[in-house]
Amino acid sequence: MTSPYKRIIGLTVLTFILAMVPLIVKSPYYMHLLIMVGMNAMLAMTFILMLRAGLISLGIAAFWGIGAYVSALLALRLDLSFWMAMPLSAIITGAVALCIGCVLVKNPGFGFIIETVVLGEIAVLAFAHLPLFGGYKGIVSIPPVDPIHIPFLFSIEFVSKTASYYLILFLFLLVAIGYSAFYSAWTGRAWLAIGLNPRLAESKGVNIYRYRLLAFVVGSAGAGLAGSFYAHYYGAIAPTTFNVFKTIYIHIFAILGGVGFPVLGPIIGAFIMILVPEVLRVAKEIEPIITGLLLILLVLFLPQGLLSLLSRRKKNARPVG
Amino acid sequence: MLKVNKLTKHFGGLVAVNEVDLHIDSSEIVGLIGPNGAGKSTLFNLINGFLKPTSGEVFFEGMDITGFKAHDVSHLGIDQSFQASTLFQRLSVLDNVFIGYHMRYKTKYWKRLLRTPSALKEERAFRKDALEILTFMGLQKLRDEQAENLSHGHQKILGVCMALATKPKLLLLDEPVAGMSPTETETMIELIRKIQEKGLTIVVVEHDMKVIMSLCDRIVVLNYGRKLMEGSPNEVLKSDEVIEAYLGKAEI
Ligand SMILES: Nc1ncnc2c1ncn2[C@@H]1O[C@H](COP(=O)(O)OP(=O)(O)O)[C@@H](O)[C@H]1O
Ligand SMILES: [Mg+2]
Repeated sequence: MTSPYKRIIGLTVLTFILAMVPLIVKSPYYMHLLIMVGMNAMLAMTFILMLRAGLISLGIAAFWGIGAYVSALLALRLDLSFWMAMPLSAIITGAVALCIGCVLVKNPGFGFIIETVVLGEIAVLAFAHLPLFGGYKGIVSIPPVDPIHIPFLFSIEFVSKTASYYLILFLFLLVAIGYSAFYSAWTGRAWLAIGLNPRLAESKGVNIYRYRLLAFVVGSAGAGLAGSFYAHYYGAIAPTTFNVFKTIYIHIFAILGGVGFPVLGPIIGAFIMILVPEVLRVAKEIEPIITGLLLILLVLFLPQGLLSLLSRRKKNARPVG
Repeated sequence: MLKVNKLTKHFGGLVAVNEVDLHIDSSEIVGLIGPNGAGKSTLFNLINGFLKPTSGEVFFEGMDITGFKAHDVSHLGIDQSFQASTLFQRLSVLDNVFIGYHMRYKTKYWKRLLRTPSALKEERAFRKDALEILTFMGLQKLRDEQAENLSHGHQKILGVCMALATKPKLLLLDEPVAGMSPTETETMIELIRKIQEKGLTIVVVEHDMKVIMSLCDRIVVLNYGRKLMEGSPNEVLKSDEVIEAYLGKAEI
Protein backbone atom coordinates (compact mmCIF):
# COMPACT_ATOMS: atom_id res chain seq x y z
CA MET A 1 0.00 0.00 0.00
CA THR A 2 1.42 3.38 -1.02
CA SER A 3 2.09 5.44 2.08
CA PRO A 4 -0.07 8.54 2.45
CA TYR A 5 3.02 10.75 2.48
CA LYS A 6 4.14 9.49 -0.90
CA ARG A 7 0.62 10.20 -2.11
CA ILE A 8 0.74 13.79 -0.86
CA ILE A 9 4.14 14.43 -2.42
CA GLY A 10 3.04 12.81 -5.67
CA LEU A 11 -0.10 14.94 -5.84
CA THR A 12 1.84 18.14 -5.13
CA VAL A 13 4.37 17.47 -7.86
CA LEU A 14 1.60 16.56 -10.26
CA THR A 15 -0.28 19.78 -9.48
CA PHE A 16 2.77 21.88 -10.20
CA ILE A 17 3.44 20.23 -13.52
CA LEU A 18 -0.17 20.43 -14.64
CA ALA A 19 -0.45 24.07 -13.53
CA MET A 20 2.49 24.94 -15.80
CA VAL A 21 0.87 23.52 -18.92
CA PRO A 22 -0.96 26.73 -20.03
CA LEU A 23 2.40 28.53 -20.07
CA ILE A 24 3.45 26.25 -22.90
CA VAL A 25 0.23 25.38 -24.70
CA LYS A 26 -1.28 28.51 -26.25
CA SER A 27 -3.66 27.14 -28.87
CA PRO A 28 -7.28 27.29 -27.62
CA TYR A 29 -8.00 24.11 -29.55
CA TYR A 30 -5.33 22.15 -27.73
CA MET A 31 -6.41 23.71 -24.46
CA HIS A 32 -9.89 22.43 -25.18
CA LEU A 33 -8.50 18.93 -25.73
CA LEU A 34 -6.60 19.13 -22.46
CA ILE A 35 -9.78 20.20 -20.67
CA MET A 36 -11.46 17.11 -22.11
CA VAL A 37 -8.51 15.03 -20.91
CA GLY A 38 -9.04 16.41 -17.40
CA MET A 39 -12.73 15.70 -17.36
CA ASN A 40 -12.36 12.20 -18.78
CA ALA A 41 -9.54 11.46 -16.37
CA MET A 42 -11.94 12.37 -13.57
CA LEU A 43 -14.44 9.86 -14.92
CA ALA A 44 -11.74 7.21 -15.27
CA MET A 45 -10.78 7.84 -11.64
CA THR A 46 -14.32 6.96 -10.57
CA PHE A 47 -14.07 3.72 -12.55
CA ILE A 48 -10.88 2.75 -10.75
CA LEU A 49 -12.39 3.53 -7.38
CA MET A 50 -15.36 1.25 -7.99
CA LEU A 51 -13.14 -1.41 -9.54
CA ARG A 52 -11.11 -1.51 -6.33
CA ALA A 53 -14.21 -2.72 -4.55
CA GLY A 54 -14.82 -5.29 -7.27
CA LEU A 55 -17.57 -3.32 -9.04
CA ILE A 56 -17.34 -2.99 -12.82
CA SER A 57 -19.91 -0.33 -13.56
CA LEU A 58 -21.06 0.29 -17.12
CA GLY A 59 -23.29 3.05 -15.83
CA ILE A 60 -20.63 5.69 -15.20
CA ALA A 61 -21.75 7.79 -18.17
CA ALA A 62 -25.32 7.66 -16.88
CA PHE A 63 -24.26 9.20 -13.57
CA TRP A 64 -22.11 11.68 -15.43
CA GLY A 65 -25.32 12.55 -17.31
CA ILE A 66 -27.37 12.78 -14.14
CA GLY A 67 -24.84 15.27 -12.78
CA ALA A 68 -24.95 17.26 -16.02
CA TYR A 69 -28.75 17.38 -16.23
CA VAL A 70 -29.24 18.14 -12.55
CA SER A 71 -26.69 20.94 -12.67
CA ALA A 72 -28.19 22.41 -15.83
CA LEU A 73 -31.70 22.32 -14.38
CA LEU A 74 -30.59 23.80 -11.06
CA ALA A 75 -28.99 26.68 -12.96
CA LEU A 76 -31.84 27.23 -15.42
CA ARG A 77 -34.91 26.56 -13.28
CA LEU A 78 -33.73 27.62 -9.86
CA ASP A 79 -31.26 30.27 -10.99
CA LEU A 80 -28.46 28.79 -8.91
CA SER A 81 -24.91 29.78 -9.72
CA PHE A 82 -22.47 27.14 -10.92
CA TRP A 83 -20.79 27.21 -7.54
CA MET A 84 -24.02 26.11 -5.89
CA ALA A 85 -25.23 23.82 -8.65
CA MET A 86 -21.94 21.91 -8.88
CA PRO A 87 -21.74 20.57 -5.31
CA LEU A 88 -25.50 20.04 -5.23
CA SER A 89 -25.46 18.01 -8.42
CA ALA A 90 -22.66 15.83 -7.05
CA ILE A 91 -24.67 15.26 -3.88
CA ILE A 92 -27.88 14.53 -5.78
CA THR A 93 -26.04 12.14 -8.12
CA GLY A 94 -24.60 10.39 -5.07
CA ALA A 95 -28.09 10.15 -3.55
CA VAL A 96 -29.47 8.61 -6.75
CA ALA A 97 -26.57 6.14 -6.71
CA LEU A 98 -27.40 5.30 -3.10
CA CYS A 99 -31.01 4.43 -3.97
CA ILE A 100 -30.09 2.38 -7.03
CA GLY A 101 -26.95 0.89 -5.50
CA CYS A 102 -28.88 -0.49 -2.51
CA VAL A 103 -30.35 -3.05 -4.88
CA LEU A 104 -27.64 -3.46 -7.54
CA VAL A 105 -24.64 -3.86 -5.26
CA LYS A 106 -26.19 -6.94 -3.60
CA ASN A 107 -25.11 -9.17 -6.48
CA PRO A 108 -21.86 -7.90 -7.91
CA GLY A 109 -20.09 -9.69 -10.73
CA PHE A 110 -21.63 -10.41 -14.09
CA GLY A 111 -25.14 -9.54 -12.97
CA PHE A 112 -24.00 -6.13 -11.80
CA ILE A 113 -22.32 -5.40 -15.14
CA ILE A 114 -25.49 -6.20 -17.06
CA GLU A 115 -27.67 -4.27 -14.63
CA THR A 116 -25.53 -1.17 -15.01
CA VAL A 117 -25.77 -1.46 -18.81
CA VAL A 118 -29.53 -1.54 -18.51
CA LEU A 119 -29.41 1.33 -16.05
CA GLY A 120 -27.30 3.34 -18.49
CA GLU A 121 -29.76 2.77 -21.31
CA ILE A 122 -32.75 3.60 -19.11
CA ALA A 123 -31.05 6.85 -18.10
CA VAL A 124 -30.50 7.82 -21.75
CA LEU A 125 -34.15 6.99 -22.56
CA ALA A 126 -35.32 8.99 -19.56
CA PHE A 127 -33.23 12.00 -20.62
CA ALA A 128 -34.66 11.70 -24.12
CA HIS A 129 -38.32 11.22 -23.26
CA LEU A 130 -39.10 13.11 -20.10
CA PRO A 131 -40.18 16.67 -20.97
CA LEU A 132 -38.22 18.00 -17.99
CA PHE A 133 -34.98 16.98 -19.71
CA GLY A 134 -35.80 18.56 -23.06
CA GLY A 135 -36.19 15.44 -25.19
CA TYR A 136 -33.70 14.29 -27.79
CA LYS A 137 -32.53 17.84 -28.40
CA GLY A 138 -31.45 18.03 -24.77
CA ILE A 139 -30.93 21.25 -22.88
CA VAL A 140 -29.32 24.29 -24.46
CA SER A 141 -28.13 27.70 -23.27
CA ILE A 142 -26.90 26.43 -19.94
CA PRO A 143 -25.26 29.40 -18.24
CA PRO A 144 -21.46 29.29 -18.27
CA VAL A 145 -19.45 29.04 -15.08
CA ASP A 146 -20.13 32.16 -13.05
CA PRO A 147 -17.21 34.49 -12.42
CA ILE A 148 -15.74 34.67 -8.94
CA HIS A 149 -15.64 38.21 -7.55
CA ILE A 150 -13.25 38.94 -4.79
CA PRO A 151 -14.28 42.40 -3.56
CA PHE A 152 -11.72 45.20 -4.04
CA LEU A 153 -9.12 42.79 -5.41
CA PHE A 154 -9.94 41.02 -8.63
CA SER A 155 -12.44 38.75 -10.27
CA ILE A 156 -11.93 35.55 -12.19
CA GLU A 157 -13.94 35.07 -15.35
CA PHE A 158 -14.31 31.66 -16.88
CA VAL A 159 -14.39 32.75 -20.48
CA SER A 160 -10.97 31.76 -21.75
CA LYS A 161 -9.94 28.15 -22.23
CA THR A 162 -7.08 28.71 -19.83
CA ALA A 163 -9.48 29.63 -17.03
CA SER A 164 -11.58 26.55 -17.75
CA TYR A 165 -8.42 24.48 -17.75
CA TYR A 166 -7.57 25.68 -14.26
CA LEU A 167 -11.14 25.01 -13.17
CA ILE A 168 -11.08 21.41 -14.36
CA LEU A 169 -7.62 21.01 -12.84
CA PHE A 170 -9.03 22.24 -9.55
CA LEU A 171 -11.99 19.86 -9.74
CA PHE A 172 -9.77 16.97 -10.78
CA LEU A 173 -7.49 17.55 -7.83
CA LEU A 174 -10.45 17.93 -5.49
CA VAL A 175 -11.71 14.49 -6.50
CA ALA A 176 -8.18 13.04 -6.53
CA ILE A 177 -7.52 14.27 -2.99
CA GLY A 178 -10.90 13.10 -1.80
CA TYR A 179 -10.42 9.65 -3.29
CA SER A 180 -6.85 9.44 -2.00
CA ALA A 181 -8.14 10.14 1.49
CA PHE A 182 -10.40 7.14 1.12
CA TYR A 183 -7.58 5.01 -0.25
CA SER A 184 -5.19 5.94 2.55
CA ALA A 185 -7.74 5.47 5.27
CA TRP A 186 -9.11 2.16 6.32
CA THR A 187 -11.69 2.24 3.54
CA GLY A 188 -9.09 1.80 0.82
CA ARG A 189 -7.74 -1.28 2.49
CA ALA A 190 -11.23 -2.74 2.85
CA TRP A 191 -12.02 -2.01 -0.83
CA LEU A 192 -8.79 -3.60 -1.92
CA ALA A 193 -9.49 -6.67 0.20
CA ILE A 194 -13.01 -6.95 -1.22
CA GLY A 195 -11.72 -6.56 -4.77
CA LEU A 196 -9.07 -9.24 -4.26
CA ASN A 197 -11.18 -11.79 -2.40
CA PRO A 198 -14.64 -10.80 -1.21
CA ARG A 199 -15.35 -13.95 0.79
CA LEU A 200 -12.08 -13.77 2.65
CA ALA A 201 -12.67 -10.07 3.36
CA GLU A 202 -16.10 -10.91 4.70
CA SER A 203 -14.69 -13.60 6.95
CA LYS A 204 -12.33 -11.01 8.41
CA GLY A 205 -15.27 -8.90 9.45
CA VAL A 206 -15.58 -6.55 6.48
CA ASN A 207 -19.19 -5.74 5.64
CA ILE A 208 -18.79 -6.13 1.90
CA TYR A 209 -22.26 -4.85 1.05
CA ARG A 210 -21.77 -1.57 2.89
CA TYR A 211 -18.28 -0.96 1.49
CA ARG A 212 -19.37 -1.75 -2.06
CA LEU A 213 -22.31 0.63 -1.69
CA LEU A 214 -19.95 3.31 -0.41
CA ALA A 215 -17.69 2.83 -3.44
CA PHE A 216 -20.68 3.03 -5.77
CA VAL A 217 -21.96 6.24 -4.16
CA VAL A 218 -18.57 7.96 -3.91
CA GLY A 219 -17.65 6.91 -7.47
CA SER A 220 -20.98 8.06 -8.92
CA ALA A 221 -20.86 11.37 -7.06
CA GLY A 222 -17.46 12.02 -8.66
CA ALA A 223 -18.96 11.30 -12.07
CA GLY A 224 -21.80 13.69 -11.26
CA LEU A 225 -19.30 16.43 -10.46
CA ALA A 226 -17.64 15.90 -13.84
CA GLY A 227 -21.10 16.09 -15.41
CA SER A 228 -21.80 19.44 -13.82
CA PHE A 229 -18.58 20.86 -15.22
CA TYR A 230 -19.36 19.41 -18.64
CA ALA A 231 -22.83 20.98 -18.77
CA HIS A 232 -21.63 24.47 -17.92
CA TYR A 233 -18.49 24.25 -20.01
CA TYR A 234 -20.33 23.16 -23.16
CA GLY A 235 -23.50 25.11 -22.53
CA ALA A 236 -25.58 22.33 -24.08
CA ILE A 237 -26.20 18.66 -23.36
CA ALA A 238 -27.97 15.90 -25.27
CA PRO A 239 -29.05 12.46 -24.06
CA THR A 240 -26.98 10.21 -26.34
CA THR A 241 -23.72 11.70 -25.06
CA PHE A 242 -24.24 9.71 -21.88
CA ASN A 243 -24.65 6.22 -23.34
CA VAL A 244 -22.85 2.99 -22.56
CA PHE A 245 -20.21 3.47 -25.27
CA LYS A 246 -18.99 6.52 -23.42
CA THR A 247 -18.53 4.35 -20.34
CA ILE A 248 -16.53 1.84 -22.35
CA TYR A 249 -14.20 4.66 -23.37
CA ILE A 250 -13.91 5.65 -19.72
CA HIS A 251 -12.87 2.08 -18.90
CA ILE A 252 -10.31 2.19 -21.71
CA PHE A 253 -8.77 5.42 -20.40
CA ALA A 254 -8.29 3.82 -17.01
CA ILE A 255 -7.04 0.47 -18.26
CA LEU A 256 -4.64 2.09 -20.72
CA GLY A 257 -2.98 4.17 -18.02
CA GLY A 258 -3.10 1.30 -15.55
CA VAL A 259 -5.79 0.71 -12.96
CA GLY A 260 -3.11 0.29 -10.30
CA PHE A 261 -2.41 4.02 -10.57
CA PRO A 262 -5.63 5.66 -9.40
CA VAL A 263 -4.67 9.28 -10.17
CA LEU A 264 -1.87 9.27 -12.74
CA GLY A 265 -3.24 6.34 -14.74
CA PRO A 266 -6.45 8.11 -15.79
CA ILE A 267 -4.50 11.24 -16.83
CA ILE A 268 -2.09 9.27 -19.00
CA GLY A 269 -4.81 7.06 -20.43
CA ALA A 270 -7.18 9.93 -21.29
CA PHE A 271 -4.29 12.03 -22.62
CA ILE A 272 -3.20 9.33 -25.04
CA MET A 273 -6.68 8.31 -26.12
CA ILE A 274 -7.76 11.89 -26.76
CA LEU A 275 -4.55 13.20 -28.30
CA VAL A 276 -3.41 10.22 -30.35
CA PRO A 277 -6.46 10.39 -32.64
CA GLU A 278 -5.72 14.10 -33.10
CA VAL A 279 -2.14 13.39 -34.05
CA LEU A 280 -3.31 10.66 -36.39
CA ARG A 281 -5.80 13.01 -38.02
CA VAL A 282 -3.97 12.74 -41.32
CA ALA A 283 -5.65 9.40 -41.73
CA LYS A 284 -9.09 10.10 -40.34
CA GLU A 285 -10.74 7.02 -41.84
CA ILE A 286 -8.28 4.52 -40.45
CA GLU A 287 -7.83 6.29 -37.12
CA PRO A 288 -10.27 4.04 -35.22
CA ILE A 289 -8.46 1.00 -36.62
CA ILE A 290 -5.09 2.24 -35.45
CA THR A 291 -6.44 3.20 -32.05
CA GLY A 292 -8.09 -0.20 -31.79
CA LEU A 293 -4.90 -2.02 -32.76
CA LEU A 294 -2.92 -0.05 -30.19
CA LEU A 295 -5.41 -1.07 -27.55
CA ILE A 296 -5.31 -4.76 -28.45
CA LEU A 297 -1.51 -4.74 -28.39
CA LEU A 298 -1.62 -3.03 -25.04
CA VAL A 299 -4.02 -5.48 -23.46
CA LEU A 300 -1.91 -8.37 -24.79
CA PHE A 301 1.49 -7.12 -23.74
CA LEU A 302 0.84 -4.66 -20.94
CA PRO A 303 -2.30 -5.79 -19.16
CA GLN A 304 -1.42 -3.66 -16.12
CA GLY A 305 -1.39 -0.51 -18.22
CA LEU A 306 1.31 1.80 -19.51
CA LEU A 307 2.41 2.99 -16.10
CA SER A 308 3.32 -0.56 -15.10
CA LEU A 309 6.38 -0.07 -17.32
CA LEU A 310 7.74 2.32 -14.71
CA SER A 311 7.22 0.15 -11.69
CA ARG A 312 8.38 -3.03 -13.40
CA ARG A 313 11.97 -2.17 -12.94
CA LYS A 314 11.59 -1.82 -9.21
CA LYS A 315 11.82 -5.16 -7.47
CA ASN A 316 8.58 -6.29 -5.93
CA ALA A 317 6.83 -3.18 -7.10
CA ARG A 318 3.16 -3.43 -6.37
CA PRO A 319 0.92 -1.17 -8.38
CA VAL A 320 -1.83 -1.43 -5.83
CA GLY A 321 -3.08 0.76 -2.99
CA MET B 1 -19.20 -22.25 23.98
CA LEU B 2 -20.46 -23.55 20.64
CA LYS B 3 -23.55 -25.67 20.37
CA VAL B 4 -24.92 -27.07 17.14
CA ASN B 5 -28.35 -28.73 17.04
CA LYS B 6 -29.48 -31.04 14.24
CA LEU B 7 -27.66 -28.97 11.66
CA THR B 8 -28.51 -29.96 8.09
CA LYS B 9 -27.41 -28.68 4.71
CA HIS B 10 -28.76 -29.83 1.36
CA PHE B 11 -27.02 -29.06 -1.93
CA GLY B 12 -29.77 -29.91 -4.38
CA GLY B 13 -30.38 -33.59 -3.74
CA LEU B 14 -27.13 -34.08 -1.85
CA VAL B 15 -27.24 -33.97 1.93
CA ALA B 16 -23.77 -32.66 2.76
CA VAL B 17 -24.43 -32.27 6.48
CA ASN B 18 -27.17 -34.35 8.06
CA GLU B 19 -28.63 -33.57 11.50
CA VAL B 20 -25.28 -33.06 13.16
CA ASP B 21 -25.18 -32.25 16.88
CA LEU B 22 -22.01 -30.80 18.26
CA HIS B 23 -20.90 -29.02 21.37
CA ILE B 24 -17.55 -27.44 22.00
CA ASP B 25 -16.48 -26.34 25.47
CA SER B 26 -14.27 -23.40 26.24
CA SER B 27 -10.48 -23.97 25.76
CA GLU B 28 -10.91 -27.38 24.14
CA ILE B 29 -9.18 -28.59 21.03
CA VAL B 30 -11.62 -30.79 19.18
CA GLY B 31 -10.66 -32.82 16.13
CA LEU B 32 -13.14 -33.22 13.29
CA ILE B 33 -12.30 -36.13 11.04
CA GLY B 34 -13.93 -38.07 8.26
CA PRO B 35 -13.28 -39.19 4.69
CA ASN B 36 -13.21 -36.67 1.85
CA GLY B 37 -16.65 -35.34 1.11
CA ALA B 38 -17.91 -36.19 4.59
CA GLY B 39 -19.10 -32.61 5.07
CA LYS B 40 -16.41 -31.24 7.36
CA SER B 41 -15.73 -28.05 5.40
CA THR B 42 -19.45 -27.59 4.88
CA LEU B 43 -20.02 -27.84 8.61
CA PHE B 44 -17.41 -25.12 9.17
CA ASN B 45 -19.07 -22.93 6.58
CA LEU B 46 -22.43 -23.36 8.29
CA ILE B 47 -20.92 -22.21 11.56
CA ASN B 48 -18.98 -19.24 10.20
CA GLY B 49 -21.84 -17.86 8.14
CA PHE B 50 -20.66 -18.61 4.61
CA LEU B 51 -23.54 -21.01 4.10
CA LYS B 52 -27.07 -20.89 5.43
CA PRO B 53 -28.24 -24.18 6.95
CA THR B 54 -31.27 -25.92 5.49
CA SER B 55 -32.37 -26.65 9.03
CA GLY B 56 -30.95 -26.82 12.53
CA GLU B 57 -29.46 -24.26 14.87
CA VAL B 58 -26.08 -22.84 15.83
CA PHE B 59 -25.52 -21.25 19.23
CA PHE B 60 -22.39 -19.35 20.15
CA GLU B 61 -21.96 -18.34 23.78
CA GLY B 62 -25.66 -18.83 24.28
CA MET B 63 -26.64 -16.66 21.33
CA ASP B 64 -28.54 -18.04 18.37
CA ILE B 65 -26.33 -17.22 15.38
CA THR B 66 -28.06 -19.47 12.85
CA GLY B 67 -27.97 -17.85 9.41
CA PHE B 68 -25.88 -14.86 10.52
CA LYS B 69 -23.76 -13.16 7.86
CA ALA B 70 -20.05 -14.05 7.80
CA HIS B 71 -18.89 -10.60 8.91
CA ASP B 72 -21.29 -10.62 11.85
CA VAL B 73 -20.08 -14.05 12.95
CA SER B 74 -16.54 -12.73 12.70
CA HIS B 75 -17.45 -9.80 14.96
CA LEU B 76 -18.83 -12.20 17.55
CA GLY B 77 -15.52 -14.04 17.76
CA ILE B 78 -15.38 -16.97 15.36
CA ASP B 79 -12.72 -17.07 12.66
CA GLN B 80 -11.12 -19.74 10.53
CA SER B 81 -8.23 -20.65 8.33
CA PHE B 82 -9.30 -22.23 5.08
CA GLN B 83 -8.60 -25.58 3.53
CA ALA B 84 -7.10 -24.02 0.41
CA SER B 85 -4.62 -21.38 1.52
CA THR B 86 -6.86 -18.40 1.02
CA LEU B 87 -4.97 -15.12 1.19
CA PHE B 88 -4.94 -11.69 -0.38
CA GLN B 89 -2.27 -12.78 -2.84
CA ARG B 90 -1.18 -9.35 -3.99
CA LEU B 91 -0.89 -7.78 -0.55
CA SER B 92 2.09 -7.94 1.75
CA VAL B 93 2.12 -10.39 4.66
CA LEU B 94 1.62 -7.54 7.13
CA ASP B 95 -1.27 -6.05 5.16
CA ASN B 96 -2.91 -9.46 5.02
CA VAL B 97 -2.90 -9.63 8.80
CA PHE B 98 -3.89 -5.97 9.05
CA ILE B 99 -7.23 -6.59 7.34
CA GLY B 100 -8.30 -8.52 10.42
CA TYR B 101 -8.27 -5.33 12.51
CA HIS B 102 -11.11 -3.96 10.48
CA MET B 103 -13.78 -4.26 13.09
CA ARG B 104 -11.80 -2.91 16.01
CA TYR B 105 -11.45 0.69 14.92
CA LYS B 106 -12.80 2.98 17.61
CA THR B 107 -12.02 6.40 16.13
CA LYS B 108 -14.76 8.13 14.18
CA TYR B 109 -14.92 7.62 10.44
CA TRP B 110 -14.16 11.23 9.47
CA LYS B 111 -11.14 11.25 11.75
CA ARG B 112 -9.75 8.28 9.91
CA LEU B 113 -10.39 9.97 6.58
CA LEU B 114 -8.55 13.09 7.70
CA ARG B 115 -5.84 11.07 9.44
CA THR B 116 -6.08 12.95 12.71
CA PRO B 117 -3.46 12.13 15.37
CA SER B 118 -5.84 9.89 17.30
CA ALA B 119 -6.63 7.87 14.18
CA LEU B 120 -2.94 7.52 13.35
CA LYS B 121 -2.17 6.48 16.89
CA GLU B 122 -4.79 3.77 16.74
CA GLU B 123 -3.44 2.58 13.41
CA ARG B 124 0.08 2.36 14.82
CA ALA B 125 -1.20 0.33 17.74
CA PHE B 126 -2.87 -2.12 15.35
CA ARG B 127 0.27 -2.34 13.26
CA LYS B 128 2.27 -3.16 16.36
CA ASP B 129 -0.23 -5.79 17.37
CA ALA B 130 -0.20 -7.31 13.86
CA LEU B 131 3.58 -7.52 14.06
CA GLU B 132 3.29 -9.24 17.41
CA ILE B 133 1.08 -11.90 15.85
CA LEU B 134 3.60 -12.39 13.05
CA THR B 135 6.40 -12.68 15.59
CA PHE B 136 4.38 -15.13 17.67
CA MET B 137 3.87 -17.27 14.57
CA GLY B 138 7.44 -16.86 13.31
CA LEU B 139 6.66 -14.91 10.16
CA GLN B 140 8.03 -11.50 11.21
CA LYS B 141 10.95 -11.68 8.79
CA LEU B 142 8.55 -12.07 5.87
CA ARG B 143 6.31 -9.15 6.83
CA ASP B 144 6.93 -7.12 3.67
CA GLU B 145 6.92 -10.07 1.31
CA GLN B 146 3.97 -10.37 -1.03
CA ALA B 147 1.70 -13.21 0.13
CA GLU B 148 1.81 -15.03 -3.19
CA ASN B 149 5.61 -15.36 -2.95
CA LEU B 150 5.45 -17.34 0.29
CA SER B 151 6.07 -21.08 0.41
CA HIS B 152 3.01 -23.27 0.83
CA GLY B 153 3.82 -23.87 4.49
CA HIS B 154 4.22 -20.19 5.21
CA GLN B 155 1.01 -19.39 3.37
CA LYS B 156 -0.85 -21.79 5.65
CA ILE B 157 0.70 -20.16 8.71
CA LEU B 158 -0.23 -16.75 7.36
CA GLY B 159 -3.83 -17.98 7.03
CA VAL B 160 -3.80 -18.72 10.77
CA CYS B 161 -2.17 -15.33 11.54
CA MET B 162 -4.98 -13.62 9.65
CA ALA B 163 -7.53 -15.51 11.68
CA LEU B 164 -5.78 -14.53 14.92
CA ALA B 165 -5.90 -10.86 13.93
CA THR B 166 -9.65 -10.76 14.46
CA LYS B 167 -9.04 -11.96 18.05
CA PRO B 168 -11.42 -14.89 17.81
CA LYS B 169 -12.57 -16.88 20.80
CA LEU B 170 -13.27 -19.88 18.61
CA LEU B 171 -10.81 -20.80 15.87
CA LEU B 172 -11.76 -23.23 13.11
CA LEU B 173 -8.80 -24.75 11.29
CA ASP B 174 -9.59 -26.58 8.06
CA GLU B 175 -6.74 -28.97 7.20
CA PRO B 176 -3.98 -26.71 8.53
CA VAL B 177 -1.12 -29.05 7.60
CA ALA B 178 -2.41 -30.30 4.23
CA GLY B 179 0.46 -30.46 1.76
CA MET B 180 3.10 -29.67 4.40
CA SER B 181 6.43 -31.43 4.85
CA PRO B 182 6.97 -33.35 8.14
CA THR B 183 9.05 -30.54 9.63
CA GLU B 184 6.50 -27.91 8.61
CA THR B 185 3.82 -30.12 10.16
CA GLU B 186 5.77 -30.24 13.44
CA THR B 187 6.03 -26.47 13.44
CA MET B 188 2.30 -26.09 12.83
CA ILE B 189 1.44 -28.51 15.64
CA GLU B 190 3.61 -26.46 17.99
CA LEU B 191 1.94 -23.24 16.85
CA ILE B 192 -1.55 -24.63 17.36
CA ARG B 193 -0.55 -25.68 20.88
CA LYS B 194 0.79 -22.22 21.59
CA ILE B 195 -2.45 -20.69 20.36
CA GLN B 196 -4.49 -22.93 22.63
CA GLU B 197 -2.31 -21.95 25.58
CA LYS B 198 -3.43 -18.36 24.97
CA GLY B 199 -6.93 -19.53 25.83
CA LEU B 200 -8.50 -20.01 22.42
CA THR B 201 -10.93 -22.78 21.67
CA ILE B 202 -10.01 -24.70 18.54
CA VAL B 203 -11.74 -27.08 16.18
CA VAL B 204 -9.37 -28.70 13.73
CA VAL B 205 -10.20 -30.71 10.62
CA GLU B 206 -7.28 -32.89 9.58
CA HIS B 207 -6.54 -36.07 7.68
CA ASP B 208 -3.12 -36.45 9.29
CA MET B 209 -3.94 -38.61 12.31
CA LYS B 210 -0.62 -37.75 13.96
CA VAL B 211 -1.78 -34.15 14.21
CA ILE B 212 -5.19 -35.09 15.54
CA MET B 213 -3.76 -37.56 18.06
CA SER B 214 -1.14 -35.19 19.38
CA LEU B 215 -3.44 -32.16 19.68
CA CYS B 216 -6.98 -33.14 20.42
CA ASP B 217 -8.79 -33.91 23.65
CA ARG B 218 -11.84 -35.13 21.81
CA ILE B 219 -12.61 -36.30 18.29
CA VAL B 220 -15.80 -36.10 16.28
CA VAL B 221 -16.11 -38.39 13.26
CA LEU B 222 -18.28 -37.45 10.30
CA ASN B 223 -19.25 -39.79 7.50
CA TYR B 224 -21.66 -39.00 4.66
CA GLY B 225 -22.72 -35.88 6.50
CA ARG B 226 -23.69 -37.73 9.67
CA LYS B 227 -21.95 -37.85 12.97
CA LEU B 228 -20.60 -41.37 13.20
CA MET B 229 -19.16 -41.16 16.68
CA GLU B 230 -17.50 -38.94 19.20
CA GLY B 231 -14.99 -39.63 21.95
CA SER B 232 -11.43 -39.55 23.17
CA PRO B 233 -8.70 -40.30 20.62
CA ASN B 234 -8.27 -43.80 21.98
CA GLU B 235 -11.96 -44.64 21.90
CA VAL B 236 -12.20 -43.44 18.33
CA LEU B 237 -9.13 -45.34 17.22
CA LYS B 238 -10.54 -48.56 18.65
CA SER B 239 -13.98 -48.22 17.10
CA ASP B 240 -14.62 -50.73 14.31
CA GLU B 241 -17.10 -48.43 12.64
CA VAL B 242 -14.55 -45.68 12.34
CA ILE B 243 -11.83 -47.95 11.11
CA GLU B 244 -14.17 -49.24 8.47
CA ALA B 245 -15.43 -45.82 7.38
CA TYR B 246 -12.30 -43.84 7.54
CA LEU B 247 -9.10 -45.12 9.00
CA GLY B 248 -9.01 -48.06 6.65
CA LYS B 249 -8.43 -45.66 3.82
CA ALA B 250 -6.14 -43.18 5.47
CA GLU B 251 -2.49 -43.64 6.19
CA ILE B 252 -1.83 -43.80 9.92
N1 LIG C 1 -21.06 -25.30 -2.58
C1 LIG C 1 -21.38 -26.59 -2.82
N2 LIG C 1 -22.30 -26.91 -3.73
C2 LIG C 1 -22.63 -28.21 -3.95
N3 LIG C 1 -22.11 -29.24 -3.31
C3 LIG C 1 -21.16 -28.99 -2.37
C4 LIG C 1 -20.75 -27.66 -2.07
N4 LIG C 1 -19.80 -27.68 -1.11
C5 LIG C 1 -19.64 -28.99 -0.83
N5 LIG C 1 -20.44 -29.78 -1.57
C6 LIG C 1 -20.56 -31.23 -1.49
O1 LIG C 1 -20.83 -31.54 -0.16
C7 LIG C 1 -20.13 -32.70 0.25
C8 LIG C 1 -19.28 -32.37 1.45
O2 LIG C 1 -18.19 -31.57 1.06
P1 LIG C 1 -17.13 -30.98 2.08
O3 LIG C 1 -17.84 -30.37 3.21
O4 LIG C 1 -16.20 -30.12 1.33
O5 LIG C 1 -16.38 -32.30 2.54
P2 LIG C 1 -15.04 -32.44 3.35
O6 LIG C 1 -14.54 -31.08 3.74
O7 LIG C 1 -15.41 -33.28 4.52
O8 LIG C 1 -14.09 -33.16 2.46
C9 LIG C 1 -19.31 -33.15 -0.95
O9 LIG C 1 -20.02 -34.19 -1.59
C10 LIG C 1 -19.26 -31.93 -1.82
O10 LIG C 1 -19.19 -32.30 -3.17
MG1 LIG D 1 -12.83 -30.12 3.27
